[in-house]
Amino acid sequence: MVALIEGKELTKSFGGLIAVKEVDFHLQRGEIVGLIGPNGAGKTTLFNLISGVFHPDSGRLFFKEAEITQLKSFEICRMGIARTFQIVRPFLKMTCLENALVGIIGRNERDGKKGMKKDEARDLLKFVGLGGHEEMLANSLTLIEKKRLEMARALATRPKILLLDEVLAGLNPSEILQALELIESIRTELKMTIFWIEHVMGAIMKASDRIIVLDQGEKIKEGKPEEIVSDRRVIEAYLGESDA
Amino acid sequence: MDIKKLWIPFLFIILAIFPPFLLSQYWLHVMIISLFYVMMASSWNLIAGFTGQISFAHAAFSGVGAYVSGMMAVYLGLPPWLGVLIGAGVAALLGLGLGYLCIRMGGIYLSLTTLGFSEILRIIITNEDKWTRGTMGLQIPGFFTEYSKASYYYVFLVIAILLLVVIYWIIHSEMGLTFRAVLNDELAASSSGINTIRVRALAFTISSAMAGLAGGLYGHYLMLITPDIPSLGQMFLVLAMAVIGGMGSFAGPIIGSFVLEILSEYIRIYGEYHLLLFGLVALAMARFAPEGVIGLLGKKWRIEWSH
Amino acid sequence: MYLTNGIVIGVINAVSAIGVSLIVGIMRVINFAHGELYIFAGYFSYHLSLTFGIPPYLAAPLSIFFIFLTGLGMERTLIRPTYGDEMYSLIITFVLSIVLQNVALLVFGPYPNKPPNLVDGASNIFGLFHYGNQRLLSFVISIGLLLFIFYLIRRTWFGKSVRAVSQDRGMASLMGVDHFRVNMLSFGLGAALAGAAGVLIAPIFPVTPTGSSSVSLTAFVVVVLGGMGSLKGCVIGGLILGVIENLGAAYISTMYRHIFGFIILILVLVFRPWGLYGQRTQ
Repeated sequence: MVALIEGKELTKSFGGLIAVKEVDFHLQRGEIVGLIGPNGAGKTTLFNLISGVFHPDSGRLFFKEAEITQLKSFEICRMGIARTFQIVRPFLKMTCLENALVGIIGRNERDGKKGMKKDEARDLLKFVGLGGHEEMLANSLTLIEKKRLEMARALATRPKILLLDEVLAGLNPSEILQALELIESIRTELKMTIFWIEHVMGAIMKASDRIIVLDQGEKIKEGKPEEIVSDRRVIEAYLGESDA
Repeated sequence: MDIKKLWIPFLFIILAIFPPFLLSQYWLHVMIISLFYVMMASSWNLIAGFTGQISFAHAAFSGVGAYVSGMMAVYLGLPPWLGVLIGAGVAALLGLGLGYLCIRMGGIYLSLTTLGFSEILRIIITNEDKWTRGTMGLQIPGFFTEYSKASYYYVFLVIAILLLVVIYWIIHSEMGLTFRAVLNDELAASSSGINTIRVRALAFTISSAMAGLAGGLYGHYLMLITPDIPSLGQMFLVLAMAVIGGMGSFAGPIIGSFVLEILSEYIRIYGEYHLLLFGLVALAMARFAPEGVIGLLGKKWRIEWSH
Repeated sequence: MYLTNGIVIGVINAVSAIGVSLIVGIMRVINFAHGELYIFAGYFSYHLSLTFGIPPYLAAPLSIFFIFLTGLGMERTLIRPTYGDEMYSLIITFVLSIVLQNVALLVFGPYPNKPPNLVDGASNIFGLFHYGNQRLLSFVISIGLLLFIFYLIRRTWFGKSVRAVSQDRGMASLMGVDHFRVNMLSFGLGAALAGAAGVLIAPIFPVTPTGSSSVSLTAFVVVVLGGMGSLKGCVIGGLILGVIENLGAAYISTMYRHIFGFIILILVLVFRPWGLYGQRTQ
């Protein structure tokens, strides 16, 4: 079965510091794959490479078998790859409805009445749990509400794959459960493929089909959650971090 | 757009018909200049207040419009109204070019580049005095064979209303949303599928076309064009009007233009203090009330008027 | 002769430019009011020495000190609240420059003023030509200042804080650096350098209130050319610009003197925005 998205030997360095080193990865349609690793392992950089924020120094990226290595981020989004950010960044001075609308407009479809787009935006907000908040400005939302909004904006672009960067960070336990519910409904109802970075181990191990582990820019292990949890190299990578 | 809200602009437009009958020639002149600044401040607001690109080249583009149109009239005998259109077109092209030049640049760099561009233009205009007459100024023909301030007033009024309608439409359209997305967070916008390059270049092109248009009109009204038009002093005035009136809103620059222009006439009685005063007020606004006069008039008002 | 002028001017430019570079590097703020501070210093030293009769070698440092205080004040009241918002800090310093320019016009009048020389006469350079002593003095002092700044940034604790904050504000803060204070002092220092450059140039070329934009823009060109945040870049950039402008003015056209700077500015920003020695940031 051909992978939905695939990266081959991706390498990226910043001024002499190697952030990502010859990383291979792939995701099949419908999978949830977790990306873990100690701080500074290169996880967000990998996401930035996939979503086109940076271009790799070497290596290639494929989406639905087409090469996307040199595409700009808006082109990559239109092809079907959407993302959220580690530090949540909705459009703060715009309303929730407008935030979602931007994602819809980003699809750059020929036709579509403004009314229909607004309806779609409203539905999206309801789906992520922001139903009554349409006219509220994004900067007046709580943290978890902002994360929901970012999700809505990303979903508005009708992606085939969603990159989630530490969505659970900064949430209290009950909020974490709500977020996980949302992710689960995205997966089942929208049949979304998800690639997510997370530090909340319990959650990511439970929900993922497969885990990829990065350490200092390199992929050190890949496999089912059960295999990862007991792998020596992985444990050492994390222990090494807690020493510092 | 609410039909209910339309009555206020209509009221203003009806009222705007009367000034030539009621005002002295002097105050009619002030109105005309105010309308020029309305066009300049509103179009600058489009690029600075709505896409976050603080361009210092806006006055320079009005200078492009004035000089292209003026020189074509003087040296090629082109009718002014045609010259103005061509001037606006040239300004649009230059704006597009400048916009693309700046595409990889963020805030500081972009502003510096526009600053450099503006000064280069002014220096060239000042020094090529064989053609432009430099600081002495070039006399150019007006629109009408028989000079009539009232006629100029109506020309400026109609064009200003036209530009404002276009700006209003842009602000409330999907294009306006993409502008504001780029303003809020360019990276997030790009990751959401917005072609931010096109948005930024488009904003530059549209706003510089409008500045060029305004400049062309201005030149043929004054019938004398000088390098003062594309100067940083003029740029400051436009910026102050937008900032004090309220950047990022529709009505802000309009209010700012009228208020500041009329005020400067009163202040001039005492001396050339208006720049200093406006500067101080603009500083206070930027520091304490970033949304300008419009913002101060209350949140409820602002949402009604500018969205 | 032109080359020498270029070098002297270049070094002074460098002092001026470092004032800008420091502020940009730390605070990501372009101080548009830079030129005005420079001019004010020139006027202060003029008035202090002529109107109040303070000897020139005292008037100069005193003026610089006033400007330093002004810089601190500016940062505290106007710049600090705009942190993180590039757009507003740009607007604020731009407006501030216009305000200060007009204040200068009102208070000092539009006429050029020239503070008295610290030294008079001319010296014989390598037996090739005569060169004004005041220029030589300015040159020497500028070099001294540059060395002092290098020392300050490289070796002192303040300098280390400055470098830490400019690289990673959050990290520096965690390490106990009071980044608000560093900002304020840096701004003051940047202003003081502008003032120093002004005081050094004023005896050579008289100051006028309208000359301030040209000063600011020259400083910006140097900073961009040399690379934002790079001290070495400011020096090299300042020298290059000084030489090019003087040679260009001499051999091509005096009136287009400043255009060379702007063309360099735009070329650098388009093709190599990090300048000669700056850091490439994404």
